[in-house]
Amino acid sequence: MSSRSTALRYYILSRVLFAPLMILTITSLIFLLLRATPGDPVDVLLGPRAPESAREALRTQLGLDLPLGVQYLHYLGTLLRFDLGTSLTSQGQSVWEIIGQHFPATVELTVLSMVVAVVVGVTLGAIAAAKPNTAFDVGSRLFGIITYAVPMYWFGMILQLVFAVQLQWFPIGSRFPLSLQPPPQLTGLYVIDSLLNGNLEQFFASLYHLALPSLTLGILLSGIFERMVRVNLKQTLKSDYVEAARARGIPEARIVVAHALKNAMIPVITVLGLTIASLLGGAVLTEVTFSWPGLANRLYEAISARDYPVVQGIMVFFAVIVAIASIAIDILNAYIDPRIRY
Amino acid sequence: MNRFVKFLSLFSLCLLLGVSCGGQRSPNPTSNIGSAGRVTMGTTLKATTLDPADAYQLFPGILLSNMGDRLYAYKPGTTELVPQLATALPKVSADGLTYTIPLRTGVTFHDGSPFNAAAMAFSINRFMTNNGAPAFLLSEKVASAKASAANELTIVLKEPFAAFPALLAFSGVTPVPPKAYESGAGKFKPTTFIGTGPYKLAQFSPTSIRLDPYAGYWGEKPANKGIDIQIISSPANLFNTFKTKGLDIAYQTLDPDQIRSLVDGAKRGGWQVVEAGTTSTNFMTLNMKSKPLENVKVRQAIAAMVDRNLLNQRVFQGQAELLYSLLPKNFPLYKPIFKDKYGDGDFVKAKALLAEAGINQSNPLNLEIWYSSNSTVRNLVATTLKASIEQNLKGIVNVIPNTIESASLFANLDKGTYPSTLLDWYPDFYDADTYIQPFMACDKGSVARGCEKGQSQLGGSFYFSDRANELIKQQRAEQKPEARNALFIKLQDLLAEDVPYIPLWQNKDYVFAQSTVQGVAIQPTQQFLLWQIKK
Repeated sequence: MSSRSTALRYYILSRVLFAPLMILTITSLIFLLLRATPGDPVDVLLGPRAPESAREALRTQLGLDLPLGVQYLHYLGTLLRFDLGTSLTSQGQSVWEIIGQHFPATVELTVLSMVVAVVVGVTLGAIAAAKPNTAFDVGSRLFGIITYAVPMYWFGMILQLVFAVQLQWFPIGSRFPLSLQPPPQLTGLYVIDSLLNGNLEQFFASLYHLALPSLTLGILLSGIFERMVRVNLKQTLKSDYVEAARARGIPEARIVVAHALKNAMIPVITVLGLTIASLLGGAVLTEVTFSWPGLANRLYEAISARDYPVVQGIMVFFAVIVAIASIAIDILNAYIDPRIRY
Repeated sequence: MNRFVKFLSLFSLCLLLGVSCGGQRSPNPTSNIGSAGRVTMGTTLKATTLDPADAYQLFPGILLSNMGDRLYAYKPGTTELVPQLATALPKVSADGLTYTIPLRTGVTFHDGSPFNAAAMAFSINRFMTNNGAPAFLLSEKVASAKASAANELTIVLKEPFAAFPALLAFSGVTPVPPKAYESGAGKFKPTTFIGTGPYKLAQFSPTSIRLDPYAGYWGEKPANKGIDIQIISSPANLFNTFKTKGLDIAYQTLDPDQIRSLVDGAKRGGWQVVEAGTTSTNFMTLNMKSKPLENVKVRQAIAAMVDRNLLNQRVFQGQAELLYSLLPKNFPLYKPIFKDKYGDGDFVKAKALLAEAGINQSNPLNLEIWYSSNSTVRNLVATTLKASIEQNLKGIVNVIPNTIESASLFANLDKGTYPSTLLDWYPDFYDADTYIQPFMACDKGSVARGCEKGQSQLGGSFYFSDRANELIKQQRAEQKPEARNALFIKLQDLLAEDVPYIPLWQNKDYVFAQSTVQGVAIQPTQQFLLWQIKK
C-alpha cells in the first residue's frame, strides 16, 4: 500500500469521525439560539390573549416548562435514536414526515438547477477561454459578473413576469397542476415517479412546472461555473502539455475539450459539491418566489412559528447533508487529483 | 464519461426546450381550472392541521366548516344561529349552567359510522382533554359533556355563559368518529379528517387540498363536483395565477394594490368581485402603566388625533371600514362611540386634552407605536399616523414607530414593554362577548396598579375597572338578549371613557371569481361556504 493511499485513508477516517462532532456542535448551537430568541411557540400558537392557565397547560404538554438542561438532554437522547420529534404547529406530525414531504421538491429543484448551471456555465466558460479577448469572451465575463450580482428574488420575479404572466409559456408557480393527480409517491420526485408510473402527461407537467424555477436558479449559479472554468481553462491552455499537443497538430477544439477541460474541471467539482449542499438547504428565495414547496420554505415557516422540533430537525438534516457532501468532495478530489497531499 | 456528459447536456437542453415550447399546447397541463365541475381555489393561507381539537387558525376553520358540521351554525347570509346537528336551540336550566341539546338522527360520518350523542360527547371531551391550541375555549367553561340519551347531549358549565350556543358553532367543535380518533393529551391527526359535513377530504398536502362531495351527506348536497385548493406562497403569485385564469377563485391574502387592480380590471378581465365585511378588528392598545399614558386625558387625546379616514384613503385605498368600537360594524349593538366622542383627526380637541395633561411644546409627548415587522399594512398605518399627527401637532407630539417580529411582540406584550401597539383580533366565535371580555376583563388588580393578572394584562393594556368586570359578569349570566345588549352598550361607553384601546379599522374581505363560477359569497360571520359554489 502506497503512503499516499494510507494518508488518504487516515484523512477520510478523521473526517468521518469529525463529522458527528460537527453535527453535535451545530445542533447544540441551534438548540440554544432558538431558545435565546424572544417568543416561544405557545405565544405563536395561542396568540397573546389566551389565558395563562391554557398557556401553562400547553407549555407543560410540549415540555417547554422543563429546565433548559433537561430539554437539551431529552433532545440529544431522541436525536441519538434518529427521532427528530414532532411538530408543535402541526401536532402529531413527525419531523421526518415533514422532511419526507418537502425534501423531494428541493432535490428536484437542486438537481435540475445544477444541470442548467453546469451546462450553461461550463459551455460559456470553455468557449470564452478558448477564444480569449474576443467579443464572446467579454460577453461571457459580463454574464458571469451580472449573474453573480443580480439578486435571486428580483431575477425570479422578472422571469416570472415575462415568461409566466405575459407570455404564459410557463406556470407561475407550484410544483404540479391542480387539474392533474400527482403521481403515486415512490421516490417523492415527481419527474421520476411519473416515469415509473408510465404517465407521460404527469412527467411533462412536472417538468413544465420545474422549468422556470430551475432556469432561474441555474442561470444565476452558472456565472460561478463560467468564471471558474474560464480562468482555470485559460491557465491550462498555457501549460506545456497543451503546447505539446498543439505541436503534434491536434485540433484546437479537441485539445480544449478532451485534454485541457478535464484538468480545469477539478476545482469546479469542489464548488459543484458545495453548491449542491448549500442549495439543498438554502434555495429559500427561489422556493418562495415560485411557491415551490421545498424544505427551505418549510424551514422559514417553522422559524417564524418558533416550531422548535421542526427547525432543529431540518437543520440537523441539512448539517448531515453538508457534512456528507464535503467528505465526498474531499475524497473525490483526492482520487481525481494525484497532486493533493494529506 | 465524456459521452455521458454530452448526452446529459444535450438531453437536458432538449427537454427544457421541449417543455417550454409545449406551453401553449392544448389541453394546457398547467391550467389549474378544475375539470368537470370541480372548482379550483388559490390562497396563501396555511392549514397546519386539520384536527378539530388543535386547529386554531382561519383557514383550517374554513376547511373544517365545510367538511364537518357543528351543533349550531349560522343561516347562510345572516348572523342567525340555527341548529345544524342539533334539532333545536338548547334548553337552558334556570341557573344557566345546564344545556340540553337534542340531536339529529340518520347522520353518518365519512367513514360510514353513525353520528350520535356519544360521538358528540366524545368529540367535545376530546377537544378539551387533548389540550390542543383552542382547548381552553371549552375547558375553561365546560364542567362535563355527556350523552344523556342516544340522541340527546347534556353539557354542564362551570359558570353561566350566555354566549355558549355561539361557542358551540366554533369550527373546532365538530364531531369526529370515536373509532378513528384518540382521546388524550397531544394525540392529534393533523393531516386527515373524518367528519359529517358535505365534503370529505380526498387529499391533503403542503401545496394542495382536494375535497370531494360526500355522497352520504344528510343535508343539501354541494353544488359542485369538488374543490381543489392550491396553497400559494405569496400574494403576488396568487394575484398572477388568478389573473392569467389559472384559478377559478382567489381568496386571501392579496395586498391592497393587487385588490385595487383586480377590482378595477374586473369588467375587462371577466371576473367577479365579492366584497364583504370581516369579523376581525384592528386597534391600538395603550399601555395604562406606561407614562404618560396612565393619564386618561393623554389617552383621550390620542383617540382624538387618529384620522381613520386618512388611513383608509392612504393605506387601504378605500378597502377598509372605519371602526369606532371594539365590536365590528355588523353587530346590531355596535355603537360608533369613538366617532361620537372623539371624531377623526380632531387636533383641536387633542391639543386641549394634552394641555390639560400638561403636555405642550416644552413638554412634548413622545408616543412609541409598536407593531409586527411582517405587517406592511401596520407599517403604513404607523407612518401615516406619524405624518398626520406631527404635521398637526408640531412640537407637541412626536410619534416613534417601532417594529418587532410578531413572536417577540406577543411574548413581551404582557410584560408592559410597549407603550402602544397596533394589533388585530380574530374572534373565536360570533358573539359580542369575544370582542369585549378578552380586552376589558381583569381577574386581579386595582385602578391604581392596573391589571396584574387577567385578560387586559395579557393584551398589554393593563386596564382595570371594577365596573367593567361587573358588567362582563352580568352579561355572561344574562339569558335575555335585550338586557344583555344593554350591558354591552354600557361596556362600549366605558371603553370610550377610559380609552385603553382605540378601535381603528375593520378589514374588508375580498374574493375574486372567474365569470364561469356562481354562488361565491362570504358570510357575515366570515365563513366561506364552498358547497354553494357552482361551476
